[in-house]
Amino acid sequence: MSLRLGAMLPEVLRHLFKKPATVQYPFQKIGVPKGFRGKPVMDPNLCIGCQMCVRDCPSEALEIHKESESTDEAGKVTKRFSMTFYLDRCSHCAQCAEVCPKKAIHMDTEFEDAAFDRGALKLTYK
Amino acid sequence: MSTFILPVGPQHPALKEPTSFRFMVDGETVVDADLRLGYNHRGIEKGCEERTYIQDLYMLERVCGICSNVHMTVFAQGVEKLMGIEPPKRGLFIRCLMGELERVHSHLLWLGVAGHEVGFDTFFMYTWRDREIVEDILEMISGNRVNYGMQTFGGVRRDLDEMQIKKALEGIAALKARTPYYLNIGATEPTLVARIAGVGKLPKEKALELNAAGPTTRASGVDFDVRKDDPYAGFGEHIPFNIVTDEGGDVLARVVVRAKELMESYNICEFILKNLPAGEIRVKAPRKVPEGEVVSRAEAQRGECIHYIRSNGSDKPDRVKVRAPTLANWPATLYMLRGGYVADIPIVMAAIDPCLSCTDRMAVISDVRKGTEQVMDWEGLRRYGIEFHRKRGIKL
Repeated sequence: MSLRLGAMLPEVLRHLFKKPATVQYPFQKIGVPKGFRGKPVMDPNLCIGCQMCVRDCPSEALEIHKESESTDEAGKVTKRFSMTFYLDRCSHCAQCAEVCPKKAIHMDTEFEDAAFDRGALKLTYK
Repeated sequence: MSTFILPVGPQHPALKEPTSFRFMVDGETVVDADLRLGYNHRGIEKGCEERTYIQDLYMLERVCGICSNVHMTVFAQGVEKLMGIEPPKRGLFIRCLMGELERVHSHLLWLGVAGHEVGFDTFFMYTWRDREIVEDILEMISGNRVNYGMQTFGGVRRDLDEMQIKKALEGIAALKARTPYYLNIGATEPTLVARIAGVGKLPKEKALELNAAGPTTRASGVDFDVRKDDPYAGFGEHIPFNIVTDEGGDVLARVVVRAKELMESYNICEFILKNLPAGEIRVKAPRKVPEGEVVSRAEAQRGECIHYIRSNGSDKPDRVKVRAPTLANWPATLYMLRGGYVADIPIVMAAIDPCLSCTDRMAVISDVRKGTEQVMDWEGLRRYGIEFHRKRGIKL
């Protein structure tokens, strides 16, 4: 292989006439793929309060609280649970969604989650 | 001969992460080099002892941003050994695939960084543009671009569908067509060759003696690769590949080895994607791990990555020790720097692809003159801190 000066020059000149490799974010956005791990969203109707997500969360970003407990005429006990979720601690690993036995948690595709106020990152699902 | 000590770090504009170098220089020549680690201690190992195995998996993934998947793989396969479970074949193949895709992204990143360190920013721009292709594949498969979170005890967390396989193959074909061009540029562009040929020499016997790892040692002609020598995941069975070595032992050889390893990784990825066995991707893993100890290793992009795990029968490990490949490469780097020029320091250091925060574990303060070592507990450290500030007239 012989050395030649400016070996990359033809490639560089060719690229002068190509469109840029980047997009003008935030005016132009590339979508995220189907399985993207955004923030967890919880459906309180499905939650049974087993605390598996709380136990497995590596960054302790979840809390499950019992909201109400009612007994109907047939003696069936219905419990409702809420989830407090701290987005500022979340590492988006989706372990909570994976471990949930009732599939009450799923990850959304939202990626612009930043906020100026830490309080705005505390979310409650009930 | 009069020498002058040139301190670099712990905080220095040229360093990306904190560490402390002392270069003994005679004019422009580096006579001797010394290194002090321990400025980036994050307490990950101790943290692991206080969390469950599942939580540790994600914490150890964050030992490094570039080789996140390798740390997860090593920990997962170590714990699997303790649990006595064997992941299904499809799971192991996907495990290998993630490892190779990660190697591709890391080597492309490194090629760019090497170009940047020697002032060849055009090279950096093109390799990083192409790196986006593999990043997109990783994001498509795992749902994230950096911390993929793919490995778990008993296999992998996500399966591949036909559409993903097709897209991944297209991406790899594009990269495969592109990479020989970089290899060609690396070997024929005279300004680049003049800058990196003969710089940071590491002869084969020194590479063995100083226990260098990964592409650094392979560029000195040592054909060691954990994938071949102690096969893990799917490598032992059916995945064919060749170890890339070069006899040069200089920075140019390290560029060539990494560029050729890229081609090998593309072949491995294509093989896995085309021959993915059918079946399950994971088996169920218990929460508690039986008592025992294990050493687990894998070939990271930068070399051999080792985890030592000791379990006590509970759901939390008793001890986790992480040996990142950069630690193995430091003695060799100090050897390479000796006799070189001050201007060569950045590229010689960059050539091992260092990752300082991966490397930093517990540091023991030793007084070299007195030959004493000192270990402080939390309370002692607190008292020392208060005393330190009080002596300097700061009221606490």
